[in-house]
Amino acid sequence: MPGSTTLSERETANIAAYIGKLDSATNAGQATGDPHKGEALYNSSGCSACHMIAGQGGSIGPDLSRIGAARGPTNLKARLQDPGANLPQVGDGPFGSRWTQYLMYRAVEKDGRAVEGVRVGEDSFTIVLKDLGGKLHGFRKPDLRSLEKEPGKSFMPSFKETLSAPQLDDLVAYLMILKSAQ
Amino acid sequence: MRFCRYVLTIVVSLLPAAASLLAQNVTYEQLLHADSTPQNWLMYGGDYKSQRFSRLAQINRENVRNLKPAWIYQPSRPLQPIESSAVVVNGIMYVTEPLSTVTALDARLGTKIWSWSAHLPDRIFTIGVHRSNRGVAILGDTVYAETLDAHLVALDATTGALKWNVHVDDNGQGYAMTGAPRVLDGKVIVGISGGDVGIRGFVDAYDAKTGKRLWRTWTIPAPGEPGSETWGKDMSGTGGAGTWGTGSFDPELNLLYWTTGNPAPDYNGANREGDNLYTNSVLAIDPDTGKIKWYFQFTPHDTHDWDAIQVPLLFDQTVDGKPERFLALANRNGFYYVLNRATGEFVAGVPFVTQTWAKGLDQNGRPIVLPNTEPTSEGTLVYPDGHGGTNWNSPSYSPQTKLFYVSAREIGAYTVAGRPKVNFPDFGGGGRNALPADDSYGAIRALEATTGKRKWEYKLLAPAEVSTLATAGGLVFCVSNEGNFFALDASTGKLLWDFTVGGANAESNLVTYEVDGKQYLIGASGNCFVSFALPDSNSSVRGKSPTKEPVHP
Repeated sequence: MPGSTTLSERETANIAAYIGKLDSATNAGQATGDPHKGEALYNSSGCSACHMIAGQGGSIGPDLSRIGAARGPTNLKARLQDPGANLPQVGDGPFGSRWTQYLMYRAVEKDGRAVEGVRVGEDSFTIVLKDLGGKLHGFRKPDLRSLEKEPGKSFMPSFKETLSAPQLDDLVAYLMILKSAQ
Repeated sequence: MRFCRYVLTIVVSLLPAAASLLAQNVTYEQLLHADSTPQNWLMYGGDYKSQRFSRLAQINRENVRNLKPAWIYQPSRPLQPIESSAVVVNGIMYVTEPLSTVTALDARLGTKIWSWSAHLPDRIFTIGVHRSNRGVAILGDTVYAETLDAHLVALDATTGALKWNVHVDDNGQGYAMTGAPRVLDGKVIVGISGGDVGIRGFVDAYDAKTGKRLWRTWTIPAPGEPGSETWGKDMSGTGGAGTWGTGSFDPELNLLYWTTGNPAPDYNGANREGDNLYTNSVLAIDPDTGKIKWYFQFTPHDTHDWDAIQVPLLFDQTVDGKPERFLALANRNGFYYVLNRATGEFVAGVPFVTQTWAKGLDQNGRPIVLPNTEPTSEGTLVYPDGHGGTNWNSPSYSPQTKLFYVSAREIGAYTVAGRPKVNFPDFGGGGRNALPADDSYGAIRALEATTGKRKWEYKLLAPAEVSTLATAGGLVFCVSNEGNFFALDASTGKLLWDFTVGGANAESNLVTYEVDGKQYLIGASGNCFVSFALPDSNSSVRGKSPTKEPVHP
């Protein structure tokens, strides 16, 4: 590979960070379930209330239209079992870092009203949260009584107890065939 | 005659910025006493002490909440960080734009008056260097600026016409220029970038009239020279020690203080045993000869890319009844240092951010390095990261509060040692992998200047790389990484005003000035310079600007 002659320090750091973060486990595993059964489970388990596939469904959680191209079976199964512990990260943070997506916050206003939601936008002085109903709440941080991160928490329920191991495999197999936007 | 005098008076009064139409004539005497003309911002850092403090007080604690944008100026070449620190003289503002453009603006209106751009070659080597520029210097009727391809140019301050252009060094070997020059009496002092790719750093002085080089001080000694014994083998041609910040000056001591960057290759010191002088140091230089009078090295044998190019801030305080001359520097390595600037003697040093690599500093200010903090092939988690506890963006100091205001970065990284590569342009020793953004944050911290003891902090979502600016209005201004301009109470750190401009990864140095009796704040975020001022009903308050209270330097 030829040496880079025009990249800035930041650009170089971003690329290095990106390469460093390429987690081989993200795409690991083998889909062993039945995708047709998985599709039926997807529809009967209420997933579409929050997730969108090919323009159909809710918008609380990530769009899954291409999830099979972005993630592997092992990763997807872990997310179904413990969604809050496996939140995705995106690479537009400062200095080559990556922000956590769907990170939950609890904001309490000075009059005591509280909102729990996932972060959809934040800077040093403001934050916008999306609640479980999809409603957006924008706050100025100095106006809040408290603002706490809720790491490990997710609006998405765990399917660890509600689906059997074969059912989880079927659901993963279905998600893995979602490779491109329809 | 009486009529003529009357007409002239009318013309001048109708053109409050009339001086802007005339030739500039900034004298060395004016530069020596820059704080006495606070309507101007005459140089990088505001004055030779680099305190980035203004005596303007029209914008103050009581009315800063009313601050509004006055104008926005968008440079012609977007998508590169704007790092310029404006210079303002008689209502004219001089800024630099990426890549190597100098622009004069009407400081009241934001209207472009002239622009000059370097004819850059198709291929420019800026490895490890932002393709940006941090501002100009002015002396007499001439504006001085550096170009990415390592030229120093002199421009007519009224028209932008090129007066002279000197080739400082070979960009084809990695030498680049991104800094703001420092002008003294008849001299232009510049540093050099490229320390990550094996240049040999230097500080140069040029004749302000002709561009003739007066002296060059190398920052890596040649074999046999003092300091050469701190390199395991001769690396004087490629050892780094860039000088890409802007130095400070004490005219009474006649000492120029210039800081240096990291040794190369950066993250692997295997083939450069020793302290590697004069990397990561501050040099006290005789500006008449270029001779190094003393030096202080902050991070000997650096393997974490902790350039010491932060602006050396000079301040005077009476301690135990004795007047003292100090040099303060919040270093990328996470420690805040206070030195005796006459001798270089270490006075105090404490961490100002989380740092995990040193047990502390010894009695001479040398770090006591902890084991297992060196970069490894697997990566070693170390705080601070390679951009450091703070970076090139200037701190400020208020003589009123006696506090040092620094943009602190609370961020660590996995530092990775790679195979040392020493054949330009394939040069380097490893790199770093950033932690998740949600595991880091930034803060504006007010430190007691003589001790480094923290007085207050204001937390930010992300580490910021924007200067602080302190004013006699009792304020400290800054910009968050996300592009929020804001003002804090200089005594308490309480948030008093903020305004969102946006533009991720804001990098700029803030400046304040006054035109026609109105105070402005200027900074950059994203692809915009934004100037703020109070609405007319606020700015018409008389007797507020500049402060009538004595300000003790």
